[in-house]
Amino acid sequence: MSGEDRPGLYVESTIIMTTVRVVAPFVLTFALFVMFHGANSPGGGFQGGVIAGSVIMMLAFAYGIDSTREWVDVRVVATLASGGVLLFAAIGLGTILLGGNFLEYHLYERFISHATAYGIELVELGIGGIVASVVIGLFFLLAAGYGHAVDTPEAEE
Amino acid sequence: MTLTLIEGALLVFVLGCALGAALLKDVLASVMAFAAYSLGVSIIWVILEAPDVGLTEAAVGAGIMTILFLLALANTVRPQEDQILERVRFRTVAFVGAFVLVMLATVPSLPAIGADGAANPVVSGEVTQYYLANAYEQTEVHNAVTAVLAAYRGFDTLGEAVVVFSAGVAALTVLRQEVFA
Repeated sequence: MSGEDRPGLYVESTIIMTTVRVVAPFVLTFALFVMFHGANSPGGGFQGGVIAGSVIMMLAFAYGIDSTREWVDVRVVATLASGGVLLFAAIGLGTILLGGNFLEYHLYERFISHATAYGIELVELGIGGIVASVVIGLFFLLAAGYGHAVDTPEAEE
Repeated sequence: MTLTLIEGALLVFVLGCALGAALLKDVLASVMAFAAYSLGVSIIWVILEAPDVGLTEAAVGAGIMTILFLLALANTVRPQEDQILERVRFRTVAFVGAFVLVMLATVPSLPAIGADGAANPVVSGEVTQYYLANAYEQTEVHNAVTAVLAAYRGFDTLGEAVVVFSAGVAALTVLRQEVFA
């Protein structure tokens, strides 16, 4: 079945586009809230990351997968994923360099006050970056076969 | 054990959705039943006072998984079926039934919901009490779940984060792509 035969999945709708345009900033803010405020309320990096990733899916739902794919910079996605792992590992290994155990946050107290709280926030942020980018990545990878992309010769190899 | 009306209705709803996801012949209907099941389970997590898990279940189980399943369906051919329900084989029923019996056998040894003190070894256990007593002083975060996740069990969490990262890399490798796009 070629791309032309398929019934179009994407329907351009003013209502959906307007709604997503209004709602998306709030969803992204809520994702960051869940990520940062996870220290004091339910939530954390894993949950916030998934909500942040779902913003991209909302945009793809409203504006089409292909235009969203072009809009999202692949370097940002890759940087978020690997940067999150590196950030977490760096915070953990840094305390070993300072002469303590893995992730012994209070050793950073000599550089910054409330080091434990900030360390946990940074770790949550790193986790959020990993989860959000992997969710976005899986979405784009699975969506890649849909429509005309399936006919490109690279996909057949 | 007493159930409130909401809890009973939720359990019936979740069981119905689970059966629907397993038995419905049409894959799209099965995916929808699975999404509804996840939503029901996430509310049950909140009733069991595990809002962190409930949030994850709602976002991942009901949200992301459904979208990924639907995308996979859109990429495959869905055969038109006349039957509504899957044919059930006796062997499958016997196997699943035996598994359910084994799981149900562990239920009586779980503490009652909200039980406190000696009646609930999970809450009164030494480790739980240590976390509850010292989490704020030692980690400066109010949510004890986050304290355990990011501080006391931080090394395990690094492993989890790397597992998520590896899942993304594995998906790239399997699909022979170099970038997430």
